[in-house]
Formats: sequence, structure tokens, C-alpha cells
Amino acid sequence: MTAALHAEWTKLRTVAGPLWLLLGAIAATVALSAATASVVTCGSAGCGGDTARLSLIGVQLGQAPVAVLAVLVIGGEYGTGMIRTTLTATPRRVTALTAKAVTLTGVVVAAGTVAVLGSLLAGRLILPARGFTDAHGHPALSLADGPTLRAAAGSILYLALIALLSLGVATILRDSATGIGVVLGLLYLFPVLAQVIGDPHWQRLVQRAGPGAGLAVQATTGVRGLPIGPWAGLGVTAGWAAAALVAAALFLHNRDA
Amino acid sequence: MSLQALHAEWTKFRTVPGWVTGMVAAALLVVLFALLAGVSSDQKGAPPVPAGPGGEPVTDSFYFVHRPLSGNGAITVSVSALTSSIPTGPADLRPGLVPWAKAGLIIKDGTRQGSPYAAIMVTGGHGVRMQDGYVNDTSGPSGPVSVGSPRWLRLERSGDTITGYASADGAHWTKVGAARVRGLGPTAQAGLFVASPPSVHGMSTRGSVSTAVFADLRGEGRWAGDGWTGGQVGPESPTFAGYPQNTSGSFTGSDGRLTVTGAGDIAPAVRETLPTGGTVGEILTGTFAALIAVIVVGALFVTTEYRTNLIHVTLAAGPGRIRILMAKAIVLGAVTFGTGLAGAVAAIPLGEGLARANGVYIFPVASSTELRVVVGVAALLAAASVLALSIGTIVRHGAGAVTAVIVAVVLPYILMAIPFMPVRVSTWLARVTPAAAFAVQQTLVEHHQVASIYKPSNGYYPLGPWAGLAVLAGYAAVSLAVAAVLLHRRDA
Amino acid sequence: MSAAGIVVAGLRKRYGAVLALDGMSFSVRPGVVTGFVGPNGAGKSTTMRVILGLDAVDEGTALINGKPYRGLRRPLNHVGSLLDAAALHPGRTGRAHLLWLARSQGLAARRVDHVIELVGLASVARRRAGGYSLGMRQRLGIAAALLGDPSVVMLDEPFNGMDPDGIVWMRGFLRSLAAQGRAVLVSSHLMSEMQDTAGHLVVAGRGRAIADAAVADLIAAASGDRVAVRTPAVPHARSVLTYAGATVASTRENDGITVSGLPADRIVTLLGRSGVPFSEVSAHRATLEDAYLELTREAVEFRAVTPTEVSR
Repeated sequence: MTAALHAEWTKLRTVAGPLWLLLGAIAATVALSAATASVVTCGSAGCGGDTARLSLIGVQLGQAPVAVLAVLVIGGEYGTGMIRTTLTATPRRVTALTAKAVTLTGVVVAAGTVAVLGSLLAGRLILPARGFTDAHGHPALSLADGPTLRAAAGSILYLALIALLSLGVATILRDSATGIGVVLGLLYLFPVLAQVIGDPHWQRLVQRAGPGAGLAVQATTGVRGLPIGPWAGLGVTAGWAAAALVAAALFLHNRDA
Repeated sequence: MSLQALHAEWTKFRTVPGWVTGMVAAALLVVLFALLAGVSSDQKGAPPVPAGPGGEPVTDSFYFVHRPLSGNGAITVSVSALTSSIPTGPADLRPGLVPWAKAGLIIKDGTRQGSPYAAIMVTGGHGVRMQDGYVNDTSGPSGPVSVGSPRWLRLERSGDTITGYASADGAHWTKVGAARVRGLGPTAQAGLFVASPPSVHGMSTRGSVSTAVFADLRGEGRWAGDGWTGGQVGPESPTFAGYPQNTSGSFTGSDGRLTVTGAGDIAPAVRETLPTGGTVGEILTGTFAALIAVIVVGALFVTTEYRTNLIHVTLAAGPGRIRILMAKAIVLGAVTFGTGLAGAVAAIPLGEGLARANGVYIFPVASSTELRVVVGVAALLAAASVLALSIGTIVRHGAGAVTAVIVAVVLPYILMAIPFMPVRVSTWLARVTPAAAFAVQQTLVEHHQVASIYKPSNGYYPLGPWAGLAVLAGYAAVSLAVAAVLLHRRDA
Repeated sequence: MSAAGIVVAGLRKRYGAVLALDGMSFSVRPGVVTGFVGPNGAGKSTTMRVILGLDAVDEGTALINGKPYRGLRRPLNHVGSLLDAAALHPGRTGRAHLLWLARSQGLAARRVDHVIELVGLASVARRRAGGYSLGMRQRLGIAAALLGDPSVVMLDEPFNGMDPDGIVWMRGFLRSLAAQGRAVLVSSHLMSEMQDTAGHLVVAGRGRAIADAAVADLIAAASGDRVAVRTPAVPHARSVLTYAGATVASTRENDGITVSGLPADRIVTLLGRSGVPFSEVSAHRATLEDAYLELTREAVEFRAVTPTEVSR
């Protein structure tokens, strides 16, 4: 296992793509968060917004490069045929997949931490100038605040789970482009589908069921009114990731390479 | 464009089962989402949505103090106050400005919702207005009313023409407007009314209530009945937001002064007033899912050739690189257009039918509009697939191209739909990003005389349908041009 | 140690309607280069993938040094393989490609530089593999196969894309690997290369091994005991040799006959004693290609139509 991990880490650091995708994920997350923070306004009647969630909105965009990285970790090998070399070097296929998953989680958590802290810092610096001040009931964002810490840590975990989901989907589909299409479809279609469903019961169900439900972990206010609680939402995302990885392991184990 | 190049690309396309499957899946997704939209909501037994003279949904709920008026006649009144209250919490009513709160005179065919009328009124923030037929609005003298500066209003009926006048002193009159009101019976109900539409607060609305003080009420002509009757028109209407907690409509009179309290509106219904209603655009939500499928196929159509080096064979066999790219774009665009057309043509009647069967109100559209939506959705998918093809040619990497295009087209829509995203930002996104193309699905129109939340996620786009589509087509055309230049210059 | 090398026994695998392997059995012994030949679709690549644990079989076993591939710990230390030289990330350098493989086996980076040196890629090892020629990729693949200093080496079509210098190098290299005591299995379409390189040959056809023998024996079997004789006095020679008990056949040339049933030295004696002039008496030697074509005539699936068949 250690050797397989070492090999996967060597693979990741010896091509330029992963580094750029991780930097892209950080840049996209912080940029969208900062841009959103600088356009919202706090009206005289009250702001009514969730500043932590607002500051972390960039995760919506940052998850795309993370998903691409995760898909390419195995989809790229299927594209070139190098997967056979990998499985020749590590014939225990579940070990090979686990090594990829662990390595990927490591780098995504590292990049996600930078992205999330950068976004919160941007929010902390920008939002007071937009009227989100202590006087309006919005103290400056701080990790010392329990819900904010939960939102930050949860966002990092969310990114890692999206990476694992993407890895699983790409392993099942064995094609990068189709894999990323399916992952982004799962992430973006559930909220859109929820809008179109008229029945409130079904609507809440759809809002809870998608892999994007984990973004509920970013909520710091009005948690009771959400379709799903913060940790429960992250649990849904974790369920998707786990299901994808288990299916991927079964496929990988039982299929000819 | 040589026919051989087109034929070759078409043969390539149809012989890869995965791509054909992708296209079929795209069409089926459009239909599937329409079915979901149709069956997911059950509103059987809901009260009917009032319809105006053109069949359009309207709000026709207000407090009406009326008497029958036979034949021609006139009615005059002065308004010395119009004040509104907005709830800020349960049982916490605060005075506030409701710009389209209305108080004035109305001659209406009856108290049935949706019946023809003409009215003249003072408003909370838009001066004197003459309105008829729910959608027509003419402005009169501006400025608010107060005890110190009351406003006199007069409405005259002559046949089916109703003329409205305003005056600052009750002696010197200005004609505000005249309306031909079709379908007004020989005996109409005429009198005072007060309406108070929901007040818009950022991303939400709150039902309001308004009170007006009238005096100098005088009728001319043959008035029947004995005295004025007060009551709420359309109290149970789905387009009526209701009265704030612990308030109700009323009228009281003393010393020639009449105080009338009312809520509601006489206006076209917009999305926010009928949140349970569906639109054709919503039935076609599957366009998003189809979009992802056609983007994947579009990108793979060229990037697979790069991955397998088939591109060398293609370029060697073809007449010229740019012509090959154009042939690919035409084949892909045409196939996607056909797919989208088939999906939308099947989806709309199915979705509408199911929704109606479940009692869901669908905002009505002209058949020409429906045709535009169907063709527009097909064109949207075609443009997106060509954009994916172009980006795929530029980056030569399937996953990269798919991600870039999905993020560019779908993410702006997701951002637009985020509740706390300011309208300013979401309309900006709907103007400049490829997601502007979703405007082609819009069937709702903004009404300046109805304060509401007009934002893309509610079905109101800042650009017209074709202008929005042109934004995406522009991105696709520019990318295709860049791809052509790169393909021409770059080593294959 | 009978288990050393590769032992393939009774492999059977079906892809839908196609029977890819139908009882494939053979063994690859240490110290000799075993050629693995056969027409397209005979099951060579499938067999190699099965040996490497990449494809599962319906029946049969493939063992390396007595163990199935998936049971090997640090497998590259037991068997080195090259299946598809193009299976590389184009953005990674050749050295980095070897490095991750080394890491997967817990090998030191030193070993990477050693195998790079061994295959002669030192000058380009730090360049992106996407820019490598096919020959360079083959050398990189060989380097990867040797990374763990394995006792078994298995190469699929290693001569593909090699220039003449590369072919000469590869030939010597394969022989030296066998000389070091390794079991070497090499698949190829090039019979001439196999004739000069392999000591043993497995011929695959329709999913099974239709021959499994030493190269020398195969050639001898295909050559038979025929002797070519060149003489201006064909009728005279024919009568002398027939009298001595040989079977004589004419050849296309007017002055040539083919004799079977008598060794060449006896023919020389007989002709000399009878005063028959001759310019050449030589034992006929078949090529490996002849032997191969003979063996696989039945087994070829995608045989080209000959011009006469077309005109018919």
C-alpha cells in the first residue's frame, strides 16, 4: 500500500496538469467568492444573508477543477492505456484504486484548505464595506465562531468528497470526458431539477438527494429552515462518494483491464 | 463546403454508438424532465386562476365599495390620504410606502374576477394613473396625496368608452385618459376601490394593506340600489396574497368622509403573484440535462480524433482543415438541432398535459411563442454543441473542453438562482454569459405597473429571446473562428 | 526448480461469440528466449494479458515462478513486461514514468537511472514522453520491464517501430537477458527476427498452442531430408539416383532436381562414381518462415485472398 501510494504521488507530481488544476480550483474558489462578496449589498431593512455561506460560494465553481483532476487521475490512464501498466505494477486492484483515492484526497484537502481560507479572508475584508457590519448583526467572519468553522471545515471535506465521487464515476465509465459530464451533471442538475418540481415534498427530497446537498454544510444561519442539515447534507455527499467508489472497486475488480 | 466532407463527418458521427446514444439520451432527458415537471405537482381542486380579456392570468382582488350604474353616467370623489402598512414580523405592522398601492374610482362589469373595467386612481408612489383591461396603464398628474393637497378624481361612462379626469381643486379638470371597455354590460358596478399589492423586499415579498380617505363622493346618471355595498373581490383567488395577519378590508363613513381599507391588486399576474403556476420554460428544464449530454458529445466529436490520432487521417483525407472543422460543426449542429427539436416537440404537450391534469396552472402562450420556444431550445442545444466542438478543437482535451463549456453555460444559471444573489448580478450574468441563451425559453413579460422580483430564475430575462440566444451563438461563432485559426496554424 | 518461468495451462476465454483462448498451454523456461508467434487473432495478446492478471479466464491457470500474477508481492521484481509502448502520459518525462513504477515496487531511484542507461535512453530521459518516437517508447518500455531485475521478461512486439540499429540492439539484448538465466517470452510477427533470436518457439493458432518446440527442431522438420542437385545431365543423374533408392523430383530450373531419401554426401559419391557432372549438391534448409506458414496454414483467420482466387 505504501508503495502504491508513493507511486500515485509520484504520478501526480510529475505532470503539470494536477498542479495547475489545483491552483485553478483555489483561484476559481477565491475569485468567485470575492466577486460575489463585492456585489452583494446590505440594505437598510437588514441584510438577511448568511455571510459565511456567501463567502464560500466560490466552492460551487472550485469543485469543477477538482472534479476534473479526480476524473483525469484514472480517466487519463484509460485514455492512454497506461491503466494496464498501473495494474501490472499493483495487481491488487482495490489497493491501486485506494492509493489513488488517498493521494487525491490529500492534495484536494490541501488545496481546498487554501481555497476556503482564502475565500473567508476575502469575505472578512470585503463584506464590512458592503454594509455587513457588526451594527447590522453581521460580525466579521472568524473561525473562532463554531458555525463558521463548521462551514469552512465542511467545505474542505465537501471538495474531497466530490473528488472521490468523480474518481469513482470515471473508473466506472473509463472515459474522462463522459465522466466529467456525468459528475457535473449530477452536481448541477439536482438544484435545477428541484426548481422545476412543484410538489414541496418532492422538491425537498430532490434538494436533499443530490451529491451537491453537502453544500448545506456552509450554512451558518437559518439552519432549521434548510432542506437538509449541515452535517446530514455532507453525509449525503459522502454517501454518493462511497457508493461511486464501491461500485468502481467492484467494476475494477471484476472487469478485464 | 464540399458535400464529401459533410458526408464523411456524418458517417463518422452516426457510426459511433456512444455519440448516437448521447444524442438520444439528450432528447429523452428533455422529455423525462417534462414528465417530472408535469407529475410532481398536485394542485387538483385549487381555485381557478382569474383570466383577463385576452385569457392572460390576472390579479383581480381588491376592496370594492360599489352601486349598480345603468347606462351612461359619472362618478367623482376626492382622495385626501393613502397610507400603507407592511408587516415586518408576526403581528408587527409598520407604516411603509407601497408604490403601487391604489385608491380611486372604478367602473366594472361586475364583481366577477377578470371582468372588464376601467379605473382612475391615486397610487402610493406613481401619482395618478388611469388603468383598464388589466394591462393598460396611463400616467396622470404626479405627486402623493395628503390632507393639505387632496386629489379629485372623476370617471365618466359614455357607451363603452370610459374617460378619466384628475383635478387638484375639484374645479379645474385634466383628462388623464379614455378607454374603450369591451364587454361592459348596460348595468355596471361603479364606486370606490382600494388595492394594496405585496411589497417587494430584496428577494422576497410581503402582503400589504392600505387605507384611503375619500370625500365629496358624487354620482351622476341612473344609480340603482339603496346605498353603497362594500366587499372584497376575489378573496380566495390564487393570485391574491391575502391580508396581513389581524387585518381585513372595510369601509366606514362619517360626515361625508369614507375610509376604505383594502388589499390586493387589479393587474396582470406575474410569476411572484402566482408561484404555483408553471411556464413552458419550466417544462423544458430538461434542456439543462440535454445540454450536458450534447456538450459531452460535441467535445468528444473532435477530441477523440486527437486522442487516437485519427485527426491525422481526417486531415490527410480532407480538402482543407478549416473546411473539415466547418463540416464537423454543421453535422454536429444539425444533429443536435434535430435532437433538441424532437425532444421539445414531444416534451411540451406531454408536460403541459400532465401538469394541467394535476390542476397546475400553466401560464398561457401564443402558439407562435410556443414555436419560438421549441425552435429556440433546439438552437440553444445546437449552439452549445458547436461551442463544445470549438473549445475541444482549441484545447484538444475532452475532459477540459467538457468542463469549460458546462461551467460556462450551466454555472451562471446556478448562480442566478441563488436566493441572495442580487437581481443586478443575476441580470448581468443573464446578459453576458452563455447562459443568456436560456432567455429563449422565456414566456413571461415584465409589467412596469407591477412591483415584483423580475429575475432570470423567475423566468424574466433582461434580454429578448433571440438576443439571448445570439449571445451564446456569438460565443460559439468566436470560438469556432479561433478553433479554425488554430487548426490552420498549428501542427496537427 | 520446475516452476521457474511461465507455465500456462489450459487457458480458455470467450468474448461473447468469439472464443479467444481455447486451451492455450505452454511453458517458458529460464535461460532461453521463447518466441510467441501466430496469426492475428490467434490469442497472443490475450494470453499475455491473462499472464499479467489483466484479463480473467473462464478456465485454466497462468503461473509465474509457480504463482498467479495477482499473488505476487512487488510483481515487477518477478516479471517485467511490455504490452503497449504507447501507453504513456504524454506530459510525463520518460524518467518520471519509470520513477513512479519504481516507487510502486519500493525500488530506489538509482534503479531507474540504471535501466535508462541499460536501454540507451540517457540523453532523452528528461524529455516529455509525448515527443518520443515509437522506437524510443519501445526502449522506455523495455526499461520499465527491467526495472525490478525480474527473472521473467515478457514483451509484446518489441521490434515494432525499431530502426535497423534498434533491431540489431534488441536482438542482442534479448539474447543477453536469456543468457543471464531469465525466462524471456517475446511475441512477434517477424519470423526472421525470431529465427535469429529465439531458441524456442510457441506457435499460437485459434486460441491454442499448435506448436511448442525448439527453433532448430522446427526448421529441421520443415526442411525434411531433401537435397538440391544442379547438373547439366538431368536424365542421367535421375536414373543413377533412382537406382540407388532415392525419390527424385524436378524443379523449375532445367538443370535442377530435388532428391530425397539419400544424404548429400552419399549423392556426391554416387554421382562421382557414375561420372555424372554436377555443379551443386546442397541440403535444402527451410526458413522459420516456411515452418511457420506450414504450421499455421490451417489456423489463419484473416488470410489475404491471393490474386488467383480473386480472378476466379
